[in-house]
Amino acid sequence: MPSGARNGRPPLTLVTENSSVHAGGEAELRPAMGSATATDDLDWSILMARAQGGDRDAYRRLLVAIAPYLRSLALRHHRNSSDVEDAVQDILLTLHAIRHTYDPTRPFTPWLATIARRRVVDRLRRQGRSTSREVALDAEHETFAAPDANLQEVAWYKRALRRAVEQLPAGQRQAVTLLKLREMSLKEAATASGQSVPALKISMHRALKNLRRILNSWSGET
Amino acid sequence: MIATPDLIESLAANAMPVRRLRPPFVRAGFWLLLAVVILVLFGVGHGVRANLMERLQEPTFAIGMAASLLTGVLAAVAAFMVSLPDRSRLWLLLPAPSLVAWLSTIGYGCLTNWVSLGPDGIRAGTALECFATLVLIGMPLSLAMLVMLRHAAPIRPMAVTMAGSLAVAAITATALALFHELDATVMILMWNLGTAILIVGLAGAVGRKAFSWVAPRSVALHV
Repeated sequence: MPSGARNGRPPLTLVTENSSVHAGGEAELRPAMGSATATDDLDWSILMARAQGGDRDAYRRLLVAIAPYLRSLALRHHRNSSDVEDAVQDILLTLHAIRHTYDPTRPFTPWLATIARRRVVDRLRRQGRSTSREVALDAEHETFAAPDANLQEVAWYKRALRRAVEQLPAGQRQAVTLLKLREMSLKEAATASGQSVPALKISMHRALKNLRRILNSWSGET
Repeated sequence: MIATPDLIESLAANAMPVRRLRPPFVRAGFWLLLAVVILVLFGVGHGVRANLMERLQEPTFAIGMAASLLTGVLAAVAAFMVSLPDRSRLWLLLPAPSLVAWLSTIGYGCLTNWVSLGPDGIRAGTALECFATLVLIGMPLSLAMLVMLRHAAPIRPMAVTMAGSLAVAAITATALALFHELDATVMILMWNLGTAILIVGLAGAVGRKAFSWVAPRSVALHV
């Protein structure tokens, strides 16, 4: 048969030695990182007892004091900082709704920790349900599998390439225009331009090197 | 999304004085008192079964009834205990021993006089009356439990629902044994176990919804 055992997480009972706490101590000045000390617990217990009586100032101080503790509890399960804040607010709302169930003769932290754990677990379950049906779209997934979806970028590349071609020396520009843009063979291009085939080849080779240099210098600027 | 400091401000501004809950034993006592009142009223209106004293002489019947009554009491205590966030879930085990005793007396009765069910063992009239008793006693007790434990909705809805409905089921089964002549073992089995399973199952199915009906989870804030 069970005794009155409490789920002591975080494990603590009542106050230890020489805790010089006045009613409504300065709990909010102490950072409560991840664990609450026995002094915290007594402070919080007193503040909560006064809040149950309608003391708004004590209640505000209590909520401010436990917020970092709740945040550290939520951080164990949530990575996303907005999730953590949501969880903290969820816990605070639940605490507000059932604050009459707290018995000031008992430690405060186990009471709070159960509420917090419950809310965090509920949130994780809800997230599990929704993420199993949804696909998150992250900012870096701008490029889509269908090429048509990337038209904007294609247009930008076209404009950049055209401007780069215009900056080439006349011979090289002609080689690019005939061989690549009009897609002529070397022989046709030689006839059309009056240059020899090896000269066209050299011009084309130099044009590609120049284009690469120009485009690189632009992408370096942006 | 509202910022946490703003939320704290608005919660603090809404901090009306609240009345603390009485200790869980006291509240369980209130609920059991209600059960006693209902049973007495029903007994006055309906009258206990004719052969009650005679049957109470039989150890199996007496033990079974005591065990179901004890299960009801202990399960009620467990439900009120577990409904508080700072009490251990181990309280759920409190009614387990008497539950085992109750179920085993039903099983024992079945083994010893399995054949006692005659051709006209189950009559529609009895079954209907039993059902009426079940609803008349089970419903008010369930509603009272639901309202008294509504604060548990955001914390341990399932555990509290199970313990609470076990309490209701055990008390209702005790009432059935008190008020109806269910000597055919199959019927005892059906009504005892059937009632328990029905109530616990119903609670499991609608418990969360019922809780959200009496205790909306979101808090109305005048921001």
